[in-house]
Amino acid sequence: MPKIRFTNLFAERIGGVSSVDVPGATVESSLRALTEQHPVLTPLVWGKDGALNAVMVVFLNDRQLVAAEIGTSVEPGDEIDIVSALEGG
Amino acid sequence: MLYARATIDLASRDVRIEEVPCRNLEDVLGGFGRSFQILAERTVTHAFTPENPLIINTGVLTASNVTTGLRTYFSAYSPLKASDKGLPAAMWSAGSCKFGPKLKWTGLDEVILEGRADAPVYLVIRDSEQGPQIAFEPAGDLLGLTCHEKIMWLRDRYKDAHFAAIGPAGEHYEDCYMASVALSTENQLKSGDDKCRWAGRGGMGAVMGYKRVLAIVAQAPDKIAKLKPEIRDINKAVTSGPGSRKFREKEKGGLGGTWSNYEPLEKFHFVPQNNFRPKGDGKPELMFRDKVQPDFFVKAESCFRCGISCHKNVYEKNADGTKGAFLAKFDYEPVNLLSTNLGIDDPRKAAALISLVDRLGMDNISVGTTVSYVMDYNERHPDAPILNGATFGDFEKARELVEGAGTGRWPEVGRGVKRLSQSLGETGYAMHCKGLEFPAYQPDTNPGYPWAIAGGHMSMATYMAVALEGNTSLDYWATLITTRGLLFVRDDLLGLCKFAGVTADHAVEALKQEAGLEVTTAEMLAAVRRAFVRALWLERRQGYERTEYTLPSEVFDRPNPNLKVPPFVTREFFSELSDRVWSVFDPEIDQMADGVKA
Repeated sequence: MPKIRFTNLFAERIGGVSSVDVPGATVESSLRALTEQHPVLTPLVWGKDGALNAVMVVFLNDRQLVAAEIGTSVEPGDEIDIVSALEGG
Repeated sequence: MLYARATIDLASRDVRIEEVPCRNLEDVLGGFGRSFQILAERTVTHAFTPENPLIINTGVLTASNVTTGLRTYFSAYSPLKASDKGLPAAMWSAGSCKFGPKLKWTGLDEVILEGRADAPVYLVIRDSEQGPQIAFEPAGDLLGLTCHEKIMWLRDRYKDAHFAAIGPAGEHYEDCYMASVALSTENQLKSGDDKCRWAGRGGMGAVMGYKRVLAIVAQAPDKIAKLKPEIRDINKAVTSGPGSRKFREKEKGGLGGTWSNYEPLEKFHFVPQNNFRPKGDGKPELMFRDKVQPDFFVKAESCFRCGISCHKNVYEKNADGTKGAFLAKFDYEPVNLLSTNLGIDDPRKAAALISLVDRLGMDNISVGTTVSYVMDYNERHPDAPILNGATFGDFEKARELVEGAGTGRWPEVGRGVKRLSQSLGETGYAMHCKGLEFPAYQPDTNPGYPWAIAGGHMSMATYMAVALEGNTSLDYWATLITTRGLLFVRDDLLGLCKFAGVTADHAVEALKQEAGLEVTTAEMLAAVRRAFVRALWLERRQGYERTEYTLPSEVFDRPNPNLKVPPFVTREFFSELSDRVWSVFDPEIDQMADGVKA
């Protein structure tokens, strides 16, 4: 199963867990599995139109994907990071 | 547990160094969790009085092997953040780099500056076999120098040291309440470039200026402990994990730093323009990093031993493409507030203003937001403009205002937008809450601003919520402000940088490994919450009324049709939200007050 890693923005909503292993053949289906397991994350991951939230950025094994690439296949052990493109400082 | 404190009476030059027992977990964790308890013991009615201490302390993980464990905290009653009753409010401001670790390596966790020196001085804190030693040195040679010049002067005289310094703004504290404290960086000391880090918010540099302390030297050899495998693993997770991706370079699997906020925010027309009034005209794109970068040399640099490299330093680009002269560090807030939000869409001019603000030693958020108010006022009153008549887009006049604020020439700017707008009788578009100017996030999208305890974005994580989730329900906002939003200040106790995105589990493990502290996540977060509530209680004690926890009235009365979110922060919404938030906080504040009385 691929592993999805995320930031405190996600973790603080699901009891501090900062990564989960999910079933999924693609990045998108893995993210769908994540939000099925943790519906509270749905508004962070998906926009109201059902597409990937426009301010989220997805990395597969350290390579940044553009939104059109979230159908990319994944293998067991792959790491998917989902992070916000918006942070202050 | 004990911590080491030096109490320095600036008037008598008495120094007391003692081991102080921690009263609670907040004392142990440090930062504002401890300093606000000290401030709570004081009765202070004006920021510029001998009774107002300036507390310089560290977090429990400052100087540890945990990456980004580099924070120094400056806490005092603020000249800028003040209630309508005129009482100063407790405030802290944090900065990174090596001053904090050096201070800790002198043997001190905390320095309290009491009273006021009778002449300008700088303090030298040294480690010695007999423990920390503190000396007073005359600072006549430092007077009038910029922050960077002061640090260079000190660098040439003190080896193996780091420095905290104020600039001309701090020296003109009576006319510039927004003066900051500069902290030296390794890169700065080696390169000679003006690359300070900053404890910027709330005028801690003005308090230091009042005390006539122009700089502090922390001199000690590095005392880096052997890296434990548990900490090595945490550091690896931090520097290569998702939590810090936003701040890393694209070629290192990152998103390019806070400067890159322009792009996601502009999708919603949330990038402030012309005093927080986005126009939807596409001009913010001119400051996108991808647009700016081809004309400059941009290099990601870092604080001491930090692998995130969040500093996006902009240099001139030589004809052969190599690095030229250093111009400025580009972060989202200073770039926006000193360019786009002033109607100036030019990166070179932005760099010039950022550099000027840094040299003078001011908070770029406060000065940028106050200048944008001046420009807005003048646009509304073309027949009776104030100050130099600056209007949006006028770089030269913006530069004059910044310089005037930092040199005491224009106290109207230097004392912040709250006082200026009240003096003019036009407060509706003065972008502040409780006297602290807004950072570069629209108040129309952040009804959580009023409950931020030390600046709008770094002490309340609600500033990006609408762009992130688009949820404008009362339930969502009341919950966000009273739960997740406030926990954003966790690292302001621990000594870590928020950019590291250290998870709660890693923080707890780091406390165990580096401080021998066995706490659960729940215990740690409960201490953070108590510290936050204590800050709200202190605000109440300093005279803040519930009516002051609000937004500029034009947010309610003049919705901006250019924002790509329906206006939701109506008076009715905010009133109900306020009731909901206070119904949570009020009992906790009362309990805090009862505990203090007991």
